[in-house]
Amino acid sequence: MKLQHTLGGLEGLDPVQPELRVFVEPWEERIFGIHTAMMALSPQLNLPQTSSTFRTVWSWADLRKGAEAMNPFDYFKYRYYEKWLGGISGYFVANGYITQAELDARTDEYLADPAKSLPSGGTSEVDDRIHKYLIDGDSPWHQWADKPRFSVGDTVLVADPPTVEHTRLPGYLRNKVGVIETVYDDAFSYLCSTGPDGIGPAMPVYCVKFDPQHLWPGNAEPGFFIYADLFDAYVRPVADQTAA
Amino acid sequence: MTDRFAYPPDREARNAARVRALEALLIAKGVITNQTVDKVMQTFATEMGPFNGAKLVARAWTDDAFKALLVTDTMAAVAQLGLPTGAAGAEGEHMRAVANTPQVHNLIICTLCSCYPWPVLGLPPYWYKDPSFRARAAREPRAVLKEFGLDVDPAKEIRTWDSSAQIRWFVVPERPDGSQGLSEDELAELVTPEAMMGVAVALPKAA
Repeated sequence: MKLQHTLGGLEGLDPVQPELRVFVEPWEERIFGIHTAMMALSPQLNLPQTSSTFRTVWSWADLRKGAEAMNPFDYFKYRYYEKWLGGISGYFVANGYITQAELDARTDEYLADPAKSLPSGGTSEVDDRIHKYLIDGDSPWHQWADKPRFSVGDTVLVADPPTVEHTRLPGYLRNKVGVIETVYDDAFSYLCSTGPDGIGPAMPVYCVKFDPQHLWPGNAEPGFFIYADLFDAYVRPVADQTAA
Repeated sequence: MTDRFAYPPDREARNAARVRALEALLIAKGVITNQTVDKVMQTFATEMGPFNGAKLVARAWTDDAFKALLVTDTMAAVAQLGLPTGAAGAEGEHMRAVANTPQVHNLIICTLCSCYPWPVLGLPPYWYKDPSFRARAAREPRAVLKEFGLDVDPAKEIRTWDSSAQIRWFVVPERPDGSQGLSEDELAELVTPEAMMGVAVALPKAA
């Protein structure tokens, strides 16, 4: 069980911080921009070829795997974009784009002289492709001929697949019972296969309604309901509850 | 002794130098260009941002048929409004809007990460990414909203939507009292990202 998969409902935390800014340090914009460029330049996308030397796949799933692999204490310790900076720097080293030694050396240079300018280089088609990715998106939608297994109003049981490196199943819903609120049209794939967790290929997706009193008996606020979008692989008929 | 909870004294300077080093190396090695990051930020300043969501909400406040479409077929409504290109772009290919009513208050969260409808809301503010918010809003939304300064009537049902698959969510807040006679552009100015995620409501302009 991973903290990062089971954050929903965790008790004993601090008051929320109503910090309205997107970036709280100027450097955070830079790592956000790099992440977005990596997604847009990933070679599996159907976008124009460019001169960029980026040759490996980077998606949200890779960023999330990094965050989900963290020691849970570190997960709380580091600010949002600090986690991105660690994950993305590590990725470029692990995939041979840069070495840790050159990253450390350059870091020392900029630490000594923060105003030292960036090199110039690159051609506009690289940035055009990134813009096109943002504007067009990367839809996970797929046509789906089969009838989804569940219908609106069905009572369903949430699956409890093995914990692996990455999931889109909120941990607080495992083994809980809910009611289908929406059956989305057609099917959705996920950015990668999550192995025994069960998602990746196109499958129906449902919005499922849960009673917080069932999720956290006697320990949730009254007068509210929580809904989650769940891939078909995470949803079982209620009859499975006795069989399990 | 563990130093797990200690930050280096030059934490932010080191972060800034590290990201600048990374950007410099990626430019030098031909991965990105020296304009890439600035151009990405420019897109979020001009094409994909909360100014789009505010227009959708303002139209919904003045046109009941549009509001009905916005909550039943969000993408069709987005296409109808003539927003900048990109209004159905990355992280908003499949969006769903839920409308607040006198009986229901909606709150959008993402307990697993920070899924957010980029084309209509731009990038998520820090509060949305805060682990305390993400954890607590799932179990005690009223207490959390109170910390944002929003006291939701106990008679109102709260619906919390956890963005766990590929659908991106936003809220159509209620039109504030005292906003009669305002133009659609003026109404759009009353719509904040916080109101479109459900941690605030739309307020009439302060006199």
